[in-house]
Amino acid sequence: MSVMTIVKAINNALDIKLKEDENIVIYGEDVGVEGGVFRVTEGLQKKYGAERVFDSPLAESGIVGTALGMAVSGLRPVVELQFEGFTFPAFNQILSNVARIQNRSRGKYKAPMVIRFPYGGGVNALEHHSDSPEALFAHIPGLKVVIPSTPHDAKGMMITALESNDPIIFMEPKRIYRAIKQEVPDEKYTLPLDKARVVQEGSDITLVAFGAMIRECQKAIVMAEEAGISVELIDLRSIYPIDREAIRTSVRKTGRMIVVAEAHESFSVGSELIAIANEEAFLSLEAPPRRVGGFDTIVPLAQGEPYYIISPDRIFYEIEKTIHF
Amino acid sequence: MTQEDLPAIFSDFNPLEDKMLQIIDKEGKMIRKDLMPKLDDATIIDAYHQMLYERTADEMAVSYQRQGRMYTFTPNLGQEAIHIAAGMNIRHEDWLVPAFREMGTLLSKGVTMKEMFLFYLGNEWGGSFQQAHHTLPIAISIGTQLQHATGIGYSVKYRKKDETVFTFIGDGGTSEGDFSEALNFAGVWQVPVIFTVQNNQYAISVPVQKQTNSINLAVKSVAFGIPGIKVDGNDFFAMYLAYKTAAEHARSGRGPVLIEALTYRLGAHTTSDDPSKYRKKEEEQLWGKSDPLIRLKRYMQDAGIWSIDEEQLREQYKAEIDREFTAAENEKSYPLEDVFRHMYSEMPDELKRQKSEYEKFLSWKERRG
Amino acid sequence: MNHIFNFPDLGEGLEEGTILEWYVKEGDKVKVGDPLVQMETDKVVADIPSPKNGVIVALHGKPGDVIQVGAPLAEIEVEGSGHVSTVAKEDPRIAATEATVEPIAEGEDAAAVVGTMEVAGNDGLLAASNEGAPSAKETGEPQRKALATPVARALAKEMGIDINRVPGSGPSGRVKREDILQFGSGFVTQPTPTGTTENHAPEDVTYLPLTQIRKTIARNMLHAKHNAAHMSVFEEVEISALKAVIARYKPIYADKGVKLTYLPFIVKAVAQALKHHPQLNSQIDAENNRMIVRNRRHIAIAVDAPDGLVVPVIRDADRISIFEIATQIGTLAEKARNRKLTLEEMKEGSFSITSFGSIGGIFATPVINYPQAGILGIGRIMKTPIVKEDEIVVGNIMPLSLTVDHRIVDGGETTRFLARVMGYLSDPLSLMMDES
Repeated sequence: MSVMTIVKAINNALDIKLKEDENIVIYGEDVGVEGGVFRVTEGLQKKYGAERVFDSPLAESGIVGTALGMAVSGLRPVVELQFEGFTFPAFNQILSNVARIQNRSRGKYKAPMVIRFPYGGGVNALEHHSDSPEALFAHIPGLKVVIPSTPHDAKGMMITALESNDPIIFMEPKRIYRAIKQEVPDEKYTLPLDKARVVQEGSDITLVAFGAMIRECQKAIVMAEEAGISVELIDLRSIYPIDREAIRTSVRKTGRMIVVAEAHESFSVGSELIAIANEEAFLSLEAPPRRVGGFDTIVPLAQGEPYYIISPDRIFYEIEKTIHF
Repeated sequence: MTQEDLPAIFSDFNPLEDKMLQIIDKEGKMIRKDLMPKLDDATIIDAYHQMLYERTADEMAVSYQRQGRMYTFTPNLGQEAIHIAAGMNIRHEDWLVPAFREMGTLLSKGVTMKEMFLFYLGNEWGGSFQQAHHTLPIAISIGTQLQHATGIGYSVKYRKKDETVFTFIGDGGTSEGDFSEALNFAGVWQVPVIFTVQNNQYAISVPVQKQTNSINLAVKSVAFGIPGIKVDGNDFFAMYLAYKTAAEHARSGRGPVLIEALTYRLGAHTTSDDPSKYRKKEEEQLWGKSDPLIRLKRYMQDAGIWSIDEEQLREQYKAEIDREFTAAENEKSYPLEDVFRHMYSEMPDELKRQKSEYEKFLSWKERRG
Repeated sequence: MNHIFNFPDLGEGLEEGTILEWYVKEGDKVKVGDPLVQMETDKVVADIPSPKNGVIVALHGKPGDVIQVGAPLAEIEVEGSGHVSTVAKEDPRIAATEATVEPIAEGEDAAAVVGTMEVAGNDGLLAASNEGAPSAKETGEPQRKALATPVARALAKEMGIDINRVPGSGPSGRVKREDILQFGSGFVTQPTPTGTTENHAPEDVTYLPLTQIRKTIARNMLHAKHNAAHMSVFEEVEISALKAVIARYKPIYADKGVKLTYLPFIVKAVAQALKHHPQLNSQIDAENNRMIVRNRRHIAIAVDAPDGLVVPVIRDADRISIFEIATQIGTLAEKARNRKLTLEEMKEGSFSITSFGSIGGIFATPVINYPQAGILGIGRIMKTPIVKEDEIVVGNIMPLSLTVDHRIVDGGETTRFLARVMGYLSDPLSLMMDES
């Protein structure tokens, strides 16, 4: 066991798989010599050489498009897009080709590749460095979209992603890249990419969240428990496909659900989960399931950001509202 | 890469000087004997056969569409020399990453007309080209395929395979960002990829003069540090030489090549397009006079190697092609499963659920009668 | 006021650094951005600049010392109050961790990290996870919760009723609005036929409250009649042989404290016959388009309790002995009379028997115990003249009234079942010798 941050955990996962599978290559802007602006790929070029871990030209569509070419011809590329705000030049390649090649070729070609990038706000950053676009990717058939919230999960899920024959969008919550340290096994292990995790059990209300919001929910739960409310917290982990079973089981038990997600509230993962709660647990509902999300506005710069980013107080406020419905 | 590495034709036909590689002229007369590739008579005759087959299949496809038996089709009329010349230089293990107007090249890679028809009848099985080795489906998202070709080139180099990647794009496609990105990556990575720009001078209704202010399209290669050459696309021998040279260059590890093949789209963009709205009949007729089949035929006649009974051959091809179409028409089954089956390696629970919900609907429908 | 300047994380998740060289000493005046000290870390050798304008009052360490990230490096007496803090405002509500958040000052490697990032200290580790392979989650016993639409829940809330106490008559036991209304007000919602709403002179009628059990019986009877296609078949079986067996064993059983009557034999005969005719041991599940065939034979026996009819269940009646059945009948009947029957003892019956003969009545048309497929009524046993080998003799006749749900089972199978039951009852030995 070693103490790892999410950055270290992903680095470790990449290291383990690079060693094991010679078909894995890693590239993107600044990932080679510098080891990535967040140091996620640090040390890997030195260890595995510039043919396997290298810097690419500044062209996101090219990074993803060439990766697809590699993926259909025997390699397993892991490409980094530097921030979520810069995934959009590659969106066409992702939506039109990466997600579709398997269907278009009736299974003759697959896209075993991972597209990874940091996302999320709460870091006082510039524009395009604080967004949460998971719903945009989740709405593209043919992709898998996952978001770990702990170092343990980040490592296990990345290893599984590198063994998957489907294209994975691996979103890394940058706010907690280094804010959580956890003891993580040194050896290889995998975690399922389609299962949510019950972070803690409860009986009065289900909170569903992912990424950096898990921590914020946990802080809110402290307040809720003081008020005598028993909260069940679910870390979704997989945005597509969603673990419907986990939602069904939990909401049938508690009868109440709140989804906590940074992204703009409308047309979000929260909206999807409410549809699922409705379909799977309608007869058990004690209160309307709610989504707590960002406004349908651009994430403000640092001074305005505290209004936007969901705080534990706000989560507790929503819990109370729902309990007393 | 130094000038010494560069094959002669690239410097002799410098795109910056708007030079164009041509071996037989518009009337089919040999004008560059020194550049004529060494092909025996049988090979040249075979080239004509292939071009004629593609021409015939193409005309029949348009006809089936007009008869209401097939959906929208993209004609290849007038561009056959490019397709067949490429096909003759692609080995089994080489990769083909097409745009969507390279039917002859796909056929040479082992795609069948039945598959092509099945695709245009609206079934993905046809377009998946199951049998053709190292052949990707056609690209509807313009230009994105060049990136894939470059990626495959990297993979081939990485895995130390002797495989060359042939990829295609139209004149319109060169304006897409992916065109520039792909060439740029290819130059940095020095991958064995042969990029062909089929400049048939129209992107639906937009003429190539409105597409770019460059003097030609081959010259864009200079920006990315890779060799480029402009070739008369309707001159079979020039295309053959260009491909042969490019392939040798790429296969010897000296990196990618850009070929601009200047041709003319004698047909419409698709069967839903009416060219009379944006171009003149006179222009079509002018280019029609020097279409690739006519030019090659005249050369062969002059060289005394024309022994083809074209009429009879056409009839033979028509019968074959009609059989292929009938086979495709009869295979119009599309089970519900096929909508879901190939989205992922293993069908996730969500798709299973959606499928089973739909099946309940189908049962209900059946019970209603 | 002194500012304590802690050693910042240089944006790489560092934990410690070594002091190489101080550029200032105590008493020196410094401006924001002036380099204070040269630090060596795993990754870089970096100059750390001053975050404040002021005077150095203390240095925490000498060259060669190792300083932890977040530990004090220097103290600066800050000049004036006009200095604008560049430290990112930390939300005071977030639980304090050992984390330090330091701004990226100009000139540093700003391209490496955008904005400000929280870095965890070495205390307060997240607990290790034991999830390595997907393991089946142990779910605790789910609490019994009523299934109900939001509309029904709203109604229950409005009426001040705990919806989890309301028995549900809807699919899968769903609590419907009617159930809530019945539970709460005691009124039947459908329009009543003649009579009950008429005005009576006070001395002509007596009003009694509807008890819970009466309401339940009323609802169940109506439900059964509405949903099952009742069909009755009547038969007579000659039970002289059985009578003899009972006469013989009655005292023996009595010695053991068990009352022996015809009922245990009837229960056993029915259970055994159901093994041969499973259709009569089935239920319709229209919602899921299927027939549910019960694989176990739990026979429910109607008991006349003081409040009304209750139907406790003898489980696996085909597998237990006559003695055991007789014992259970005694126990259950006693409990029923004392209103001590539990839910456990009343659930999962698959076929019912109602024995009314001891009270009176020969034939009847019993009502199905919904959702079962059949119910066998036992009438008054009588000595009756019968024909035996073309001669008139005295026989002991037990009348049988079998009602079945014709949706589930047809006439042919019904009569075959009944014939088999009659076979066992008229020849008790055949019950023991049955091949099944």
